[in-house]
Amino acid sequence: MLIRLIGGTVYDPASGIDGQQQDIYIQNGRIIDKPQGEFKVDQDYDLKGKVVMSGAIDMHTHIGGGKGNIARTLLPEDHRHDPVHRSDITRSGCGHAMPSTFVTGYRYAEMGYTAGFEPALLPINARQAHMEMGDIPILDKGGYVMLGSDDYLLRLLTAKKDQKAINDYVAWTMHTAKAIGVKVVNPGGINAFKFNQRKLDLDEQNAHYGVTPRDILQVLATAVKELGVPHPLHVHGCNLGVPGNVQTTLDTIQGIGGLPMHLTHIQFHSYGTEGDFKFSSGAAQIAEAINSNKNITVDVGQILFGQTVTASGDNMRQHANHKFASPNKWVTMDIECDAGCGVVPFKYKDQNFVNALQWAIGLETFLLVNDPWRIFLTTDHPNGAPFTSYPHLIRLLMDRSFRNDILSTIHPEAQKMTTLASIDREYTLQEIAIMTRAGAAKLIGLKDRGGLSAGNFADITIYTDNTDRQKMFEKPDYVFKDGQLVVVDGKVVSTKWGTTHVVKPDFDPSVEKGLKDYFDRYLTMKLGNYKISDDEIIEDGRGSITVHPLSS
Amino acid sequence: MSALTLTLKNAPEQRIDMSALSCHLLKTLSITDIAALTLQSGKRKLRVDELFTIEGSDSQQLVIKNSHEKLDFIGKDLDGGSISVEGDAGAYLAMGMKAGDIKVSGNVGLYAACEMKKGYLEISGNAGDFLGAALPGNKMGMKGGTILVKGDVGQRAGDHMRRGNILIEGNAGDYCGSRMTAGTIAVMGQTGRYLGYAMRRGTLLLWNQPQLSASFNDCGAHTLAFLPILFASFRSLNTKFADVAQSFNRVQRYAGDMSEMGRGEVLVKL
Repeated sequence: MLIRLIGGTVYDPASGIDGQQQDIYIQNGRIIDKPQGEFKVDQDYDLKGKVVMSGAIDMHTHIGGGKGNIARTLLPEDHRHDPVHRSDITRSGCGHAMPSTFVTGYRYAEMGYTAGFEPALLPINARQAHMEMGDIPILDKGGYVMLGSDDYLLRLLTAKKDQKAINDYVAWTMHTAKAIGVKVVNPGGINAFKFNQRKLDLDEQNAHYGVTPRDILQVLATAVKELGVPHPLHVHGCNLGVPGNVQTTLDTIQGIGGLPMHLTHIQFHSYGTEGDFKFSSGAAQIAEAINSNKNITVDVGQILFGQTVTASGDNMRQHANHKFASPNKWVTMDIECDAGCGVVPFKYKDQNFVNALQWAIGLETFLLVNDPWRIFLTTDHPNGAPFTSYPHLIRLLMDRSFRNDILSTIHPEAQKMTTLASIDREYTLQEIAIMTRAGAAKLIGLKDRGGLSAGNFADITIYTDNTDRQKMFEKPDYVFKDGQLVVVDGKVVSTKWGTTHVVKPDFDPSVEKGLKDYFDRYLTMKLGNYKISDDEIIEDGRGSITVHPLSS
Repeated sequence: MSALTLTLKNAPEQRIDMSALSCHLLKTLSITDIAALTLQSGKRKLRVDELFTIEGSDSQQLVIKNSHEKLDFIGKDLDGGSISVEGDAGAYLAMGMKAGDIKVSGNVGLYAACEMKKGYLEISGNAGDFLGAALPGNKMGMKGGTILVKGDVGQRAGDHMRRGNILIEGNAGDYCGSRMTAGTIAVMGQTGRYLGYAMRRGTLLLWNQPQLSASFNDCGAHTLAFLPILFASFRSLNTKFADVAQSFNRVQRYAGDMSEMGRGEVLVKL
């Protein structure tokens, strides 16, 4: 079947197209060049005056894994207040901050998103996370496997094993957990929490292993680079949410020594200690460091006001923040030798000084980082806000007067502590397309995604241009996923199943020798059961695995 | 004007959500409008006049006749007016009620008066589990008003209760007053196991010696001047609690739950 999209205004940063009128041809799920000679079009869409972009990619969103289910169990009210009825083609579900799998897929697609990546895939829980993501319709998905606080890696470091041994272990774990990247959360801090440390700075030693977060970041970033994994090490740094952590973050950027590194939810790591309340914005310093260090990429983790829930592997920081839980209930737990987990519900309030300034810090970061290819639009769903608030966030970035109107209503002391009002920048459609499409695909290393040139998969979103960018991005006219029309006028009209994106770096099979003893002695699972086979994802007839090339 | 009377035609096959028929929602509606309202029943929506015969006109005095245990959410969020239920009521009776009064002649199901804010609820029969409790996952149960039950109540009566009175003439099930933050529960009959489990503050006033867990401390016998005042406040109610002969001021006092804040009290008639 040949589909033709006629006369849309195309924003395709991957091929340098910035708002040009173009026809797009789709056949067999891919975008093709205009066929030669005579051809018959099966379906035409007249897109004159419409905006055409590739399907959006959320490169950091917590959509799979145990913490989501803990959040769901902890917050039945989140589900009671937001029921979704079934229809002839969609299934019922519920949930505002942490929606059910099916509702997650529908709501993402209805905003024009066609892929989402789970950033905290614990190897020991990876099977559950993949099964859960396997129940998310329409979206493509993938995960970054979480390392850095696992006892095995820390043992390797204490035993002064060489980089090769670390590389083999990292590559082996990526294979077994079916990952496309490597994430580190509060490097070594989750482990240190278990030895009764309640904070761990960049150069502070783990009381048991004697390893510092700086060591861990260094070996993991090196491993990721040497293995040729395209996505740089995905770092949730030390001291999340601690006033004064801006210095830790700057030190982390310097300390990585030019290796590629992605700093996630940077907003939570950009706090100073100035002012009457000893809490201030470090966004300008952070943005300057990002602008001058080309090896660094970031996503923002913007907070938006309202009720949500924070779910993180960082049990050390979640435990420290539990007294701010709203409603007042929380969970912190251990995940055997792998990591930890903390779930704390939050209600961000615009009349709370800290929350209001957090909001401003996130926006300052967006607006002060010059290169849209190195900064990504996230709310760290659901930690800063549910992903359904993205259209609102896009309007804040694209509409200065709207931004300033809201700024003038937040806590007055926070208004005095931010330079936001003096920043004139407004994001362009092309810059939004870079952040949410081409840039994200490039960052993750997705081949044939995030672009609209021939050869790409036909993940396409079509909007009606509207100066109210929130309205525009809330309700796309059409969304195609792999060439199939899945959304019309912001409503799902058909569903399908996306693929699971992975990379498979090489490793020396002898790595399993040491691991087998370790598993038999310390873990609840045998080594053989720990490994997820491709079949487990594929055999239900709807999942599939897409292996992406390594960078040379 | 005569009371708006809804008589259930047949015992329903599926549970029916009656929340659309709370008095405050009917204020501006004509009888024809009310007849045309739809109620969720299982996966179907049924018109009010399909289910009930309708008589009378004063929607602020609602009478439900021939009522059935499958009628859920009667008087949900009720904000003024009165509802009289002749027969049984289902789950979530008077949930979140803000003002007004509700009387039920029969038995009621789970979560009666859960998260009730104010008003008066009288149940002549028995009540199910979680009377005056919080919905699952919520932190605050009943916040005010008075509940009178002439029969027995199920487990977890007053779970997470925060303010108000629950008066029980019959027996209470296990975990009576569990996780209470404040408020008063009076039980004339027997109480079950784990009385006041994890209660922080609040008063459990008992006519019979309970089986107390080890985390309640005996504080000795007391003559409490506030008890006659408390009993006097029940005089206007149609209950044994209003009977002067039932009134007393001499009690054995136990404090707990010591595994929680421990500022709750269990007062047992001496």
